[in-house]
Amino acid sequence: MNSILTSVPPYVLLAFAALAVLALPRRLGHAAAALATTFTFAQAVLLGDGGTGAHLATQFLGFDVVWFNVDQFSLLMGVVVGFLATAAVLYAYGTEAPTWVTSFALIYVATTVGTIYAGDWLTLIFFWELMAVTSTLLVWQYGGAAVRAGYRYALFHGIGGTFLLGAVVVHFANAGTFLFSATTGIHASAALLAAIGIGVNCGFIFLHTWLPDTYPRPHVAASVFLSVFTTKTAVYVMYRAFPEGGMWLAYLGGFMAVYGAFFALLQYDPRRLLSYHIQAQVGYMLAGLGLATLAAPSGEFAVTGGFAHLFNNVLYKSLLFMAVGVVIYRTGVEDIREMGGLWRVMPVTFLVYVVGAASITAVPGFNGFISKGMVIDSAHEVHNYVLLLDSGLLWWLLILGGVGTFMSFIKLGYYMFFHGSATLTPKDATPFQTAGMVLAGGACVFFGVFYYQLIELMPFTEIILGEDVYFKPYSTSHLTESAALLVTGFVGFFTLKRPLGWLAHRMPDVDAVTYPAVFYLARGSIWGVTELWAAVDRAVMGTIATAEWTGMHPREALARAGVDVEIRTGIGRSVLFLTLTAGVALFVFVLS
Amino acid sequence: MSDVLLPVAITVPLVAATLPLALGLKYESAGWPVAAVATTALAGLTGAIGLEVARGGALSHALGTYEPPVGIELVADELSVAVLALVAVVSLATLAFARVAGPRGNSFYSGYLLLVGGLTGLVLTGDLFNMFVFLEIVGISTYALIAADRSGASAYASLKYLVVGTVGASLYLLGVGYAFLATGTLNMLDMQVQIVEQASYADPLIRASYALIVAGLGLKVAVFPIHAWQPDAYQRAPDAVTTIVAALVSTASAYALMRVSYTVFTVDFLAANDAITTGMLIVAGASILAGSALAAMQSDLKRMFAYSSVAQFGMIVAAIALANETALLGGIVHLVGHGLLKFGLFLGIGLLALGYGARELDDLASAARSAPYTAGAVALLGLGLVGIPPSIGFLGKWYIGVGAVESSMAGGDPAGIGIAAVIFVSTLFTLSYVARVIERFYFAGVGLPGGHGAEHDESGHGDVGGHDDADRGVAADGGRESATGDDGPLTPVEGAPRSRLVPDRVPPASLAILILAAFTTIALGFGGYALFEWFDPYLTEVFA
Repeated sequence: MNSILTSVPPYVLLAFAALAVLALPRRLGHAAAALATTFTFAQAVLLGDGGTGAHLATQFLGFDVVWFNVDQFSLLMGVVVGFLATAAVLYAYGTEAPTWVTSFALIYVATTVGTIYAGDWLTLIFFWELMAVTSTLLVWQYGGAAVRAGYRYALFHGIGGTFLLGAVVVHFANAGTFLFSATTGIHASAALLAAIGIGVNCGFIFLHTWLPDTYPRPHVAASVFLSVFTTKTAVYVMYRAFPEGGMWLAYLGGFMAVYGAFFALLQYDPRRLLSYHIQAQVGYMLAGLGLATLAAPSGEFAVTGGFAHLFNNVLYKSLLFMAVGVVIYRTGVEDIREMGGLWRVMPVTFLVYVVGAASITAVPGFNGFISKGMVIDSAHEVHNYVLLLDSGLLWWLLILGGVGTFMSFIKLGYYMFFHGSATLTPKDATPFQTAGMVLAGGACVFFGVFYYQLIELMPFTEIILGEDVYFKPYSTSHLTESAALLVTGFVGFFTLKRPLGWLAHRMPDVDAVTYPAVFYLARGSIWGVTELWAAVDRAVMGTIATAEWTGMHPREALARAGVDVEIRTGIGRSVLFLTLTAGVALFVFVLS
Repeated sequence: MSDVLLPVAITVPLVAATLPLALGLKYESAGWPVAAVATTALAGLTGAIGLEVARGGALSHALGTYEPPVGIELVADELSVAVLALVAVVSLATLAFARVAGPRGNSFYSGYLLLVGGLTGLVLTGDLFNMFVFLEIVGISTYALIAADRSGASAYASLKYLVVGTVGASLYLLGVGYAFLATGTLNMLDMQVQIVEQASYADPLIRASYALIVAGLGLKVAVFPIHAWQPDAYQRAPDAVTTIVAALVSTASAYALMRVSYTVFTVDFLAANDAITTGMLIVAGASILAGSALAAMQSDLKRMFAYSSVAQFGMIVAAIALANETALLGGIVHLVGHGLLKFGLFLGIGLLALGYGARELDDLASAARSAPYTAGAVALLGLGLVGIPPSIGFLGKWYIGVGAVESSMAGGDPAGIGIAAVIFVSTLFTLSYVARVIERFYFAGVGLPGGHGAEHDESGHGDVGGHDDADRGVAADGGRESATGDDGPLTPVEGAPRSRLVPDRVPPASLAILILAAFTTIALGFGGYALFEWFDPYLTEVFA
């Protein structure tokens, strides 16, 4: 059974499904797409039982490559991506997504799965670059404002991809192999390149502006796909590159959590708000992965927390995008201040939103509570830069991010579903939208309650459930912590509502500086190169013209230099030259 | 008995040279048929000699009843047969062009046959003094032929060549005299032996003799800086004369230099006298560079290719001075190949001048449109001159270049690398002037009335005058730029020959020969290995 499963790389199937979506009628095509994604999910689940190993290992261009690398990490990615992609296909079908959107989304999922199952850096960078291309296509398909944003998106990912490609080349030059199994992460000399390259996709601060720029623009169904795959795959690849973590990564994650949550708080476009939260949530995951540097078993615990958060985030973040997408789909409004009172007319959507928001804000009973708790617990063991409550800077950053998250989801929910009287009376979600959302939301609740199932899917299961590790999510301290966050969030939001509203109009993100800077820098350099070349060209052509003129008018040229002589060799001068030559020849030949 | 072919081959054109004058008393135009019969006979004899040499190795014949070394010996080996074949083919082929292009008159054909006879003798002789005689026959007939159209410019060019050429020939004679003093013999093979036995390679008399011979022949070959007669002579001579002179006269002189250097003085002499070879290499390098650069500066087509010959013969002299097998093979191949290429190029230029009155580079706009076959053949030959691979022009240059590098590698002498570099630079120059010609052929003249894309002008002939006025207006204030740009496309002269087969307004027979020559240069390029096989016995003997 496993041998059959391991011989079928799922991304090939997904790519065929992407074509089928275009070729078949809409309903059949989406059915085929859902089948392919379900297969991806089921395959990952089944391979979890003894199917690990480097499958489809072969030679490509003379290099050792592994096209289907199955281990604990790629499997958990395969499970969640396959599961969520199925839900997203159902949702897309219910949202009247054009077949082109679903097709591009499917090929995008295929490249994502390819990246996940890559067993070497060469295969990985191949799919990584393809992922940038396919996701750009998915954005561009929508047209309008999405085109320009997609162009910026493509630039970002093109540059990021080039950095990672450089890292892979440097890695190969030093390590002599592309295989993951041969080295522990990427070679140290390629670390900076890799961190920047992957960091673009992770949404590192200053490299993140493509996130809120791009994700609100395309079709709502496309946003659902986009919101979970690129960034989460980047986190996964970050682990491949830096399996031993590092405090730099953990702190970067902490600052991302605060930064993302803070900017999310200022947004009024619902999808833009959610996009900033992607950055914040990725911050938590990176904090977990970065803390792998802690001594065992805390390091393993932190990595598991990071991956568990990744896993859960895929579920609830897409759930939130789905819920918000339903509202936008039904109302056509993309400003939460123009919404309000929708909970009466869209009860299903409201309920789903509450599940998603509770998950992301880590309310007990939902999956985010489990994984975020693990990351924060790990951070509690770091005692650098101790601030209040005997806790370090990292812990406080993550807590602060948590508060910001609470506040912004209270804000989002408040504006969308309460906030004055209902001026809009849209219908509720379509059946297939509901189906997609119930799948994702159900998983959120399931893993929140049966959290042992979550740990089963994770790596290092034995260590987490072992004696040495204190793993009790529903302990009093955790519950208190959560309640404190909740209360702070509510109080914070309603007291700071007006100042935040004021700030929202005055606080630009870094792109207000970076975009013009990059634009003028590029324009300047193009102008510089063009003008420099033009100057070189003028100089060369001028020299050639002068040489040509001198050659064609040697007499005049001499006259201008003040020498007025006949330069043609007449008979007399010819004889003179001949005798001189003969004389010199005699002299040289005889006296040598 | 077959060695009798050698004196016969020389006698036929020389005796025939008297016939046009004699028959001219009775017949108006006896010259051409006589020349045609004589050169055809020479071609046949050359074929026979070639077969004999291929079958039994070198032929030799003692003139009269005097046995060498006292008597005069005629020798045909692989090298002389190759040059002899070039002489026979070119002299026969040029006749077709001379018939339509002139100069006319019986005395011209007498001179022509005298030149052919002289060249044949020069190639076949095995005696140093006899070589001087034939050198003078060639020289004097060339002076006469250059002035054959009786214009002032050609008379001056002829006079210049006469004076300088005579001094050059005298230097050669002086050199031969020195060698005779030192060895007491004039027979080449005998002198080769006697130099070692009675003198030595370091003997000042021998060295001086070689210096004078090199200077004298160098003038005839026209290497820089003693080339000044050559561009004038080539440019001013009638087109048919330029065709044969450019292809054969310098070639035969370079052959003489090669023959004297390797058969009389031998490679050991060159190896023993580094200063001599270095000096020759320097002159050759200067010749290659200066010739190429001067050629690139010219606007007159014949003058351009005349300077190009200065560069190409520089390469051949370099090949002689390098004194290694590869370079010498390259020199021989280039000697023959260049002769053929220049024959074709000057024939093509002559045809364009005859049919279209084009003499300057600027006259050639859109030549490929009005004379596609002529232009195509000239372009092929020009590319061959640059050294684009399937042509013989590439083979010669390549072997010389390789030989130059080899000699540097073997002896550590940087001169070889220098020659290779100079050849490379010269190739770039050659490309630049050949590309100018091809550009005029194929790309210039767009939008000119009657040129490319000018069909709309055909409808309204009333416009043509207006266009001309406009052109003149621009030309008046545009200076040089417009003088090149506004020339009309190539238009046939009145009464230019017309053919049913091709659009070219040029004599069909000459055009056929031109195309044949172009294809021959390419076919020979493919025969690289056969050439190597053919010259191998000669090279083995020289480098034994």
